[in-house]
Amino acid sequence: MPPANGGYMVAAYVAAGVIYLAYSVWLYWRSRDR
Amino acid sequence: MTAIPSAERALKRGGILMAIGLAAVAVVYVRALVFTPEEATQGLAQKIFYIHVPSAWVALYLAYAIVGIFSVLYLLLKDPRLDLVASSSAEVGTVFATVVLITGPIWGKTVWGTWWTWDARLTSTLFLYFIYLAYLVLRSAVEEPGRRARYCAVLGILGALLVPFIHMTVYLFRTLHPMPVVLQPGRPQLPGSMLITLLSSFVAFTVFYAGLLARRYAWARLRAARAQEEADASR
Repeated sequence: MPPANGGYMVAAYVAAGVIYLAYSVWLYWRSRDR
Repeated sequence: MTAIPSAERALKRGGILMAIGLAAVAVVYVRALVFTPEEATQGLAQKIFYIHVPSAWVALYLAYAIVGIFSVLYLLLKDPRLDLVASSSAEVGTVFATVVLITGPIWGKTVWGTWWTWDARLTSTLFLYFIYLAYLVLRSAVEEPGRRARYCAVLGILGALLVPFIHMTVYLFRTLHPMPVVLQPGRPQLPGSMLITLLSSFVAFTVFYAGLLARRYAWARLRAARAQEEADASR
């Protein structure tokens, strides 16, 4: 297997993780009880 | 006034479930990346499957299906809470659909050699995504709550009607997209270790979705309860 495939895998996991974490944090902050 | 304290408690419960879901997704990351064997022909790129497929499951078969079901119920029963569930699910579902549409091309680039192709599965999923973006825009564009709920319910139902069609696109058309390996008649076509990773990712992403939905819905309820209280006070 070309080693580049690992890079694509990491890119996909990082992209998904960033989106999920960012939305969770954003939802948490904007819905905090004020 | 009991609506506000009860929404605040629901907000806390949603936050806890959201954190549990996030932790479960992290566990799936570790299992998929470290403890699942590499696939023979696609190599490491195949592991994208463990985030792409459960995200698609949550976005299309859970979140957008719930938008459709709760929108129908709203039109029948006119209970504003049904509209709040539908709109919360649409927002959360769109986050998952964003991940589907980002991880798909990353996988496609390595396995197909192209980021994007205008085949039936990809194109119809992109159009579904646009419909729910329009849904979210429509929500912020209509001020009057009753009218907003009615318009959005209609759009939400029309969008959800696309989901069974999108599921069938890989059978109906000549498409590059792989066939379902689990959500299909017959036995799952995966070796045991990969199947366990995939099924646990389905569970983890479902819990994560439930947490996000619970938190988002509780917040919508809290806002509605506060708006109601203000309206009552100014009367």
